[in-house]
Amino acid sequence: MNSTRLSRREAGIGYALLAPSLFGIVAFLIFPILVVIWLSLQRWDLLSPARFVGFENFSSVFSDASFARSMIVTLLFVALVIPLQTGLGLLAATLLTRGLPGSGFFRVIYVIPWISAPLALGIVWRWIFAPTDGALNEILGVNIEWLSSPALALPAVAVVSIWSQVGYVTLFFMAGLVAIPEQTVDAARIDGANSWQIFWRIKLPLLRPTMFFVLVTGVIASFQAFDTIYALTPGGGPQGTTEVIATKIYSEAFEAFNLGRASVMALVLFVVLVAITLLQQLYFRKRITYDLSA
Amino acid sequence: MKRNARSASLILASAAVVALSATSCSPAADQGGTADGDQVTVTVRLWDEQVQAAYEKSFEQFESANEDINVETVIVPFANYTEKLRTDVSAGNVDDIFWVNSSTFGAYADSGNLLEIGSEFDSLKGDWVPAAIEQYTRDDVLWGVPQLTDGGIAMYYNKTMIEEAGVDLTDLSWHPTDPAQDTFLPAMQKLTVDAEGRTAEDPEFDASQIEQYGYNAALDLQAIYFNYIGSNGGTFQEDETFTFAGDKSVEAFQYVVDLINEHQVSPSAANTNDNGSFSRDQFLQGNMAVFQSGTYNLKNVSDGADFEWGIAPIPAGPEGRVSVVNNIIAAGNPDSENLEATTRVLQWMGSAEGASFIGAEGAALPAVVGAQDAYSEYWEAQGADPSQFALAAEGETIGAPVGANFNEAATAWTPIFNEIFLGRTPVGEGLQEAEDLANAVGE
Repeated sequence: MNSTRLSRREAGIGYALLAPSLFGIVAFLIFPILVVIWLSLQRWDLLSPARFVGFENFSSVFSDASFARSMIVTLLFVALVIPLQTGLGLLAATLLTRGLPGSGFFRVIYVIPWISAPLALGIVWRWIFAPTDGALNEILGVNIEWLSSPALALPAVAVVSIWSQVGYVTLFFMAGLVAIPEQTVDAARIDGANSWQIFWRIKLPLLRPTMFFVLVTGVIASFQAFDTIYALTPGGGPQGTTEVIATKIYSEAFEAFNLGRASVMALVLFVVLVAITLLQQLYFRKRITYDLSA
Repeated sequence: MKRNARSASLILASAAVVALSATSCSPAADQGGTADGDQVTVTVRLWDEQVQAAYEKSFEQFESANEDINVETVIVPFANYTEKLRTDVSAGNVDDIFWVNSSTFGAYADSGNLLEIGSEFDSLKGDWVPAAIEQYTRDDVLWGVPQLTDGGIAMYYNKTMIEEAGVDLTDLSWHPTDPAQDTFLPAMQKLTVDAEGRTAEDPEFDASQIEQYGYNAALDLQAIYFNYIGSNGGTFQEDETFTFAGDKSVEAFQYVVDLINEHQVSPSAANTNDNGSFSRDQFLQGNMAVFQSGTYNLKNVSDGADFEWGIAPIPAGPEGRVSVVNNIIAAGNPDSENLEATTRVLQWMGSAEGASFIGAEGAALPAVVGAQDAYSEYWEAQGADPSQFALAAEGETIGAPVGANFNEAATAWTPIFNEIFLGRTPVGEGLQEAEDLANAVGE
């Protein structure tokens, strides 16, 4: 009896301690998800009462060529951004952890774009890319319409995104590189490994947990990229070439005032992100993770 | 690994919230009047800082005669006014009084979110600009107190550039198909100059090195393309059906698009499609000779131009000079907690005395006729003559955009219009596609 009473008491205390975070999860996670699911079944323009329309919004979105296009644009954007920002971040982290002169200064410089307001960055870059009197055209002595050309707009937007995120990626890789024990690297060196082999055979495998985190958060952030893209190319860019899924959702909800269709798009994004993250997790789980704490 | 799985789940869950909340977030703020003891506060939302300054002075006088009411103004930038108003109305957080324009008021009126301007305003209505009353009457009900009238559209010009080119702007005409009847294009070509000093008339003219633009043809509903449509006998809407793909409207659009892409007397649409201030800035920086706009830019031009400038009429089309005339109303929130005080503030805003402050410092032309003298007197004292705007308004006009679904339709057609103005989509084909999309909205 006593042990049962104790375990009930313990369970009560446990639930009490869990209550604040449970409230947060229900109020800010579960409830919004349920609201979005409910909204996806309604026709609502924010002014008139919401009207139940069943799966009409789903069929409307899935047969909408502009939605399919925005999904493709999003995939292209992610494919451009992730490899480059990860590679550049790893390169920068490798250089910055070598203790070269000026490393401290560059660490700060790399992080500044990441901590700056994305919308402000978008406005500054819009000026840089401006066809008339824009800084880039002035420097290059050309007259290129960077953000109005269907061929150039997405790469230009991707460059800005990579530039603003490299500092974030660099920070994590630096932390990962610093955590690699010196003696492991020294042992490899004594065994005759050169710098290139040490990087590929020792450091990169030991960075796998960091790589997993950087890729998961990077992919999610790229799928949800909104503010910089919106500031650079409002309205989806030339021929919709920069209309990623997040800007499409915003436009559908707050410009066309069709909350039902926007909710369907948000749900699709949610499902895609879940699927991609699970795939990433599956891929990395099969690889060896070294425990260096011992 | 379990810990890793849990971390991944948490990341997933966080991602879900961020992704899903994208649709449910709104820039809503807690607005609306409050009661504080015997005094109530009425809030007034608008987008124009110059008019806000005028309102502050007007409300000071109102408050001194109405000690039970405190009036506060709230600025929401025009760039996101439409979205914020809609979300705030939806959330019940909107101010007691708010500005509305013709392209958005229909949706609010139809959904019961505007206060009816009833008999308590009868003594004031006779002094309101009739076009404003007509514009904001829907189903025989007036839905706001007229505040600003833009008059008509005219052309600001840089006097030095005009004199140097020997151009007379007072009686120009354009024609979509007969160059012999088109005096406007040759004039604008004379005013467009490249880095080598050659004008756009010169076969050697280098359009990639333009130092001085002639004119501000652009994707600008009020200042540019509505006036060309009207002047060519075309229509943009009939009742609430979009008709801008009709032959006359297509001709008008084609003429404007050609000014940009074929004759290159105006900045590329790459500069102007997403930047509504580009042409005004070019004009104020002395890089553009003629800037077609309305009274809403009079104060900007007066404050920003460090050169001599003047105002000329817009060019006449085959059907004469037809200008769009737009008005702005202050609408009441029917769900205001201080409805009686809100009505009294609206009555003050609709009176000649209350509205006179708007014109007294030239901020805008009041839509209350009895308050318009102050506006004329101010600009007379400044040495400017805004009479061309009034003349345009008194002449032939084309109605400003209306409709409960106007914004939604505009969202649908804007990407197509962008491509038309960039010269990548044929005008007729693009307008037909845009019109079909616009008319399908709300079906």
